[in-house]
Order: sequence, then C-alpha cells, then structure tokens
Amino acid sequence: MKALRQIAALIRKDLGLQFRSKETLALIFVFSVLVVLIFAFAFGPEFPTEKTERGKLAASVLWAAFVFAGIITLNRSFAIERSHGALQGIRLTGVDASYVYLSKVISNVVFLFLLEIVITPIALQFFELFDDVTVVTLLKLFGVLSIGTLGFCAVGVLLAGMSTSTNGGESLLSVILLPLVIPIIMGGTKCTVSILVTGGLEDRFWLMMLVGSSLVFLASAYLLADAVIEE
Amino acid sequence: MRLNASQITKNFGHRTIVKNVNLTINPGEVVAIFGPNGAGKTTFIKILATLLRPTSGKLEIEGTDAIVDYAQVRNALGVIVHENLAYPALTPFENLRFFGQMYGVNDLETRCKTLLDDVGLSRFIHEPLHIFSRGMTQRFMIARALLHYPSILLLDEPFSGLDASAKQFAVDRIAQERQNEKGILITTHNIELGYLVGTRFLFMINGELDEIAKKDEIEVETLLRMYEERLINTTSN
Repeated sequence: MKALRQIAALIRKDLGLQFRSKETLALIFVFSVLVVLIFAFAFGPEFPTEKTERGKLAASVLWAAFVFAGIITLNRSFAIERSHGALQGIRLTGVDASYVYLSKVISNVVFLFLLEIVITPIALQFFELFDDVTVVTLLKLFGVLSIGTLGFCAVGVLLAGMSTSTNGGESLLSVILLPLVIPIIMGGTKCTVSILVTGGLEDRFWLMMLVGSSLVFLASAYLLADAVIEE
Repeated sequence: MRLNASQITKNFGHRTIVKNVNLTINPGEVVAIFGPNGAGKTTFIKILATLLRPTSGKLEIEGTDAIVDYAQVRNALGVIVHENLAYPALTPFENLRFFGQMYGVNDLETRCKTLLDDVGLSRFIHEPLHIFSRGMTQRFMIARALLHYPSILLLDEPFSGLDASAKQFAVDRIAQERQNEKGILITTHNIELGYLVGTRFLFMINGELDEIAKKDEIEVETLLRMYEERLINTTSN
C-alpha cells in the first residue's frame, strides 16, 4: 500500500508540474501541430488519391510529430527534477528508485497520450482521412499509439535520466534515444498505416514487434532504474 | 542514532576533495565544522547524506552500512544543502506535502502548516517557491529538513541568507533539536554562530578534517584566532 501511495503521489506531482508549466504545454502542442503542418504543406495541397498512400503519409507524420514532441517532454520532465536538486530531495526520502522511474513513465505516457488525442484528428483532417475513419478505427489507432508511447517512454525516461545530468543533455537524448526506439517506430508506423487503410491490423508481425519491444524496454529499463537515478 | 564515518575519501577525477576523514556524530551533540570555500565541506555532507558515494571509506548509521543500504538510513536524515531539494514551481506547502507523502509522515497537513508557521512562511503558503528570496528559501529548507522528524540533521551553511530573526530561530531550533537527542552536524564560515550552537568544533581545510575542541574546552575568541591562523598558514603554504 505504501508503494502505491508513493507512486500515486509521484504521478500526481509529475502531471501537476507538466500541466502547470503553460509555456511548455503550449510549446509541445504548437511544435506537434507545426510538424503536421510542414509535412502537409510539403506534400499538399493535392494529396495522393489512393488511400494507401495517404495512410502511409499520415502515419509517418503522426509518428514523427509524437517522437519529437516526446523528446521535448522527456527532457523537460527530467530538467524539472535536476534544476534545483529535487531529485536528490526524492532520493533522500528513501523511496525506491524504481517507483520514481515507473511514475515518470506513467506520467509521460499520460501526457503524450493526451497530446496524441488532440493531434491525431488534426493530422487526419490535413491528410483527408478523417471522413473515412470510424470510432472503432480511431480506438484501434489510439490503442497502437498508446502501446508505442509506453515503449518510447519506457526507454526514453531512463535515457533522459542519464542525459539530463550531462552537459548538452537535451541534444544527447535525441542521439541516443532515436536509434534505440527504431523497432517501436517501425512497428507503430506499420500498424498505424494498416489501421488507417484497412481499418484493422492485417499483419500481426508489426503489432507483435511493437508490443514485444515495448515490454522488453519497460522490463530492462525498470531493472536499470536504480543505477541511473542513484548515479 | 549514531553516525560513524571512517576513512572517507572522495576523488573527482585526479583531485582529492575529501581526504581520509573520520567523524562520529552522537545523539545530543552538535558538531560544527568550519572551513573556507572549496574545503570539501559540502562534498563531505553530501557523502554523509548518502547523496554522493565516497571513493573509499565506511559510513555507518546506527550500525547499518549507509553506502550499501542507503535506502534504509535516509529516513533518519534531515538535510540542508545548497540546492533547494524541492520544486520551484510548487508552493512551500505543496512541496512539504509531497515530500511528506514520500516519507510517510502522519497527520501531514497539520505538520506542514505547523512547520511553515514555525519558520515564518505561513503568509507565503500559496506562493510558488521560485519567487522566494534566498532567506525565505533557506527558511523553507529548514522546514523541509525537519519534516519527517529525522534523528540526524546534516546542515550545510544553515544560516546562509538568513536575517537576524531567522538566524535566531535557526539557533533556537538547533538547540531544541539537540535537547531532543538528535545528532546534528553543521558547516559554516561563521565562527560566532557555529560556536553558539555547537558542542564540538572541527576545521576542514583542503579536504582534511581536524578535531579542535569541545565547547567547554575553548573560548570563541581562541577558536576564531586558531581558525584565522590555520587559514593564513594554508594560504602561505
């Protein structure tokens, strides 16, 4: 019970701080919309007539927007902890480092998922796919996005914990995180294309890759959390 | 609770910041360490607080190896260092409530309000910490350190930035905590204040710790003269 109470308090604090910083909130939202807009302008105004091509385009844009917004969010999330020694304050309470890690993963997943709920319809509208999407398709799409976001945050939180303690940590995170999350981006993008084009998941391989890599990242990062947070 | 540090050394790269330091803090005593900037006081306090791992040496808190089982002993430590150890975007009340939840403090709301009242911050209970002056932040840090009724207090420059009334509060509070049989370590440049609250005095210069005297063995003037002589000798060497 004590562990759950501590994790709940950590999540409440993380989300509270994320939403309290209006500048960061606006920055991440505007950044994501801009990524969608830039791609829409680059490929538009006339998009391919084939739904498959538009689906591929929309899926790539969505994942690019979420990955870059995710990097900003993760950096910000740990910068708050490092700037005035707050993480040291948490360590002094004797709380298990894995609780700190788990709460950071959960709060970042929640934050990014809310962003995805807002950005996805905008992107679908720009790529002329919104009218073809049913509620069930949208739910499947959010399912895939949430699994991908979990995997991304699982490894991202760990690496952000390491990179923000170094000089130039913000740039470093992109360099070390992106190669690692390739299986998640590949699996997530392929699943998104399939859902947008057919309304379902035709090839289970990509879903298995997405779920499998997310779980492997979560388990291995959980085991390494103590070393990262204590050092 | 008793804290025992033996042969503590800390290197950063090729530089040795803390050199083979031995120190025991017993319940009911206030150990005051005086030293100039860069002497290694903050590094040493962070090692005792289990925030930094020493390069070599042993640290025991009530018989527990604090370097290996750090999570077990942290609850017993109340710490003030140069960083806030808190979230600037949160109010002092929100910060205390959050850290209190982490520590598992009972009757938390009352505890937070009482502490903020004690340190004179009750008027600023709903203001974010980032608008606080240095002195107000230091008052908050005192409340933060006492929040979970720690048995050992490790206070790095606790009087820094405080005005006269807050200094008096800090002095009184340290005396009160000592009466409650807490072991207290303070580091300071201020010999007079350190002498006022301390029961045992040490100098830390260039990472080396020298035991000087107990309070009943030395006058403040002598302590001040010895400290100045030591500093001059170190500079001339």
